[in-house]
Amino acid sequence: MQRKLNQRTHDLKVHQTLGLVTVVPLCAAVIVAGGAKSKRNKADPTAPPIEPGSEAVDLHAALGAATATLYGFTAYYAIRAPRIPGVKPKGAIRLHRDLVWIHAPGMILTPILGGLALSQENAGEKVHGIASAHQYVAWTTVGAYGASIVAVSWPIHLKFWDKK
Amino acid sequence: MKFAVALLLAVSPLAAPAQNQWVLVKSTLTWHITHPMHEVDGASHDAKGKGNCTADGCDFLIAVPVNTFNSGDSNRDLHMLQTVRGAQFPMVIVRTHLPQSAIGSPTIDADLEIQFAGQTVHYSRVPLQRITKGTAIEITGTVPATCSDFKIDRPSFLTVPIRNEIPVTVDATWRPM
Repeated sequence: MQRKLNQRTHDLKVHQTLGLVTVVPLCAAVIVAGGAKSKRNKADPTAPPIEPGSEAVDLHAALGAATATLYGFTAYYAIRAPRIPGVKPKGAIRLHRDLVWIHAPGMILTPILGGLALSQENAGEKVHGIASAHQYVAWTTVGAYGASIVAVSWPIHLKFWDKK
Repeated sequence: MKFAVALLLAVSPLAAPAQNQWVLVKSTLTWHITHPMHEVDGASHDAKGKGNCTADGCDFLIAVPVNTFNSGDSNRDLHMLQTVRGAQFPMVIVRTHLPQSAIGSPTIDADLEIQFAGQTVHYSRVPLQRITKGTAIEITGTVPATCSDFKIDRPSFLTVPIRNEIPVTVDATWRPM
């Protein structure tokens, strides 16, 4: 039993670390996302949209792929952490676990929709259909992921000034 | 005369144990941890205890299963159980010996011996308050426990460990048996 508890703590510590590391490429992917999509020509609204540079698209795609990969490893450590029989989830961990139902599908769907959007743009088409939901799915995923981090840390009582 | 002696012998066993043995009827033991981002309490109401008084003084023993402490978060409670080696050492056992005179005093300085997480630690002169409630007495106080006393690796959050001090407040109501 103690070995099981030790294994569980180890796996959840790795899960926590990887989860926080995943935030870095996630935020970076969001920041560079603006440069990876076509923009309307403000000088001539009737002209075709300005296509994004391939470097910006590649960077956004690479950061998205890194996020999804790290997320996969993060999830793996949460899933493999041994369950303790007879213990029902209680407290902040419940919301943390429930939010998986939003950000896990989001992490799978976002790169798929991004890939679809990119192929449509490469084909000279305006992004349409389900691919146009890429950014909305991405933002929902980012929101759920952030909420998941806050939920597991809740309640927070900052006492950095108390050195006693 | 023989009848009086017989009557005295008959009632004395009833009278003596009534004052000499105590049983824990209600208790709350609460640990408290402090982290720059969190203040958390975990309480247990499942302690069992017994006291036995003789002419030499009173011996009290309290035992509480580690897994009965509840902080309101199952994840934290399991982490606590792992950190304090709760599967190997599932009980916290507190022993104390008090002079008979201390039992009637409103404040008691108790020398406590605590077995927890595979370690036995002595705390001298822990101040306890005593309140009489009818036939029962309520004892309250705080044990100044620390992680280092029990060789507990301090859990950390965002790489910052909790404070070494983990005071345990005790609220125990005893009744004579």
